Amino acid sequence: MSTAMNFGTKSFKPRAPDKGSFPLDHFGECKAFKEKFMQCLRENTFDNSKCRLQSKDYLECRMDHQLMAREPLQKLGFKDLMDPPPSQEGSKP
Amino acid sequence: MLLPLLLRPSFSPPLTGCVRGLHGSSQRTLLSQCEHLLRRRRPASRLPTRNHSRKSRGQEEEWRTRNKTVLTYIAAAGVGMIGLSYASVPLYRLYCQATGLGGTAVAGHDTDQVETMKPVKERIIKVTFNADTHASIQWNFRPQQTEIYVVPGETALAFYRAKNPTDKPIIGISTYNVVPFDAGQYFNKIQCFCFEEQRLNPHEEVDMPVFFYIDPEFDDDPRMARVDTITLSYTFFEAKEGQQLPLPGYSYN
Repeated sequence: MSTAMNFGTKSFKPRAPDKGSFPLDHFGECKAFKEKFMQCLRENTFDNSKCRLQSKDYLECRMDHQLMAREPLQKLGFKDLMDPPPSQEGSKP
Repeated sequence: MLLPLLLRPSFSPPLTGCVRGLHGSSQRTLLSQCEHLLRRRRPASRLPTRNHSRKSRGQEEEWRTRNKTVLTYIAAAGVGMIGLSYASVPLYRLYCQATGLGGTAVAGHDTDQVETMKPVKERIIKVTFNADTHASIQWNFRPQQTEIYVVPGETALAFYRAKNPTDKPIIGISTYNVVPFDAGQYFNKIQCFCFEEQRLNPHEEVDMPVFFYIDPEFDDDPRMARVDTITLSYTFFEAKEGQQLPLPGYSYN
């Protein structure tokens, strides 16, 4: 990998995650949400765009059980899944 | 007496000088002296004559100075080469930063981008998952889905599962790799389980999520035009007491 002494060839530089590391879910508190997400993926041929609601639910579960720092869902890229303000039309899932 | 006159360099050959000195005084002694002089000179006639010797001496001096200048130039070139080899390291670094080659350029991404980015729906990318463990760690580590289809600009979730089948707790630490390397700079992880020690109790099994997205600029990069598959590979190692792994910029307590 990056241990080869090839001068000039590109090597991969791992970067730290933006928000750090997920604490481990030792007690399986969000396992049910995870199962729902995996089920959705299997049904939709592993298309992520169709299962965003389930992934949002999983992350919300994590936040509820102190397994993830609480953040507004817009910051996690779920802006289109939020409930729209009354003046706007419903967003697509 | 007259010999010094004869031996002094002049344009006329020594014989005429010898002949001139023949008026007067004892011709015999002078004649013998002249003959002696000529005889001395004859074997040495191999040497160039006075004219030639003068020119050769000048030429020799010229050659000597020319040699000296050439040697100086060569020595300067040698020193210059050594200096250049020392200077090439920071110079290359500057060049890489200026041109962005060698993978040092990172597609600018910050946390605000997650909020504002728009998914590029036309470009579907398959992300495959791979899980490895180091030989010394006894965890069972595998992905829970082999692949997932994402589009740039959309956040995605994926799961790995790790199980500790042994009777003692094991602490693992992981790193990841993205193939192709060029695409790795567009692969941004919002949150994952890497670079931090994860402790698994005996016979415990956990789900490990990876929350990531692919930068929307991926679609604009001409080098990525033919890239349809990105492989994310995680490797778990056993964390040993007191051993500090040199991990990139991520500090943990």
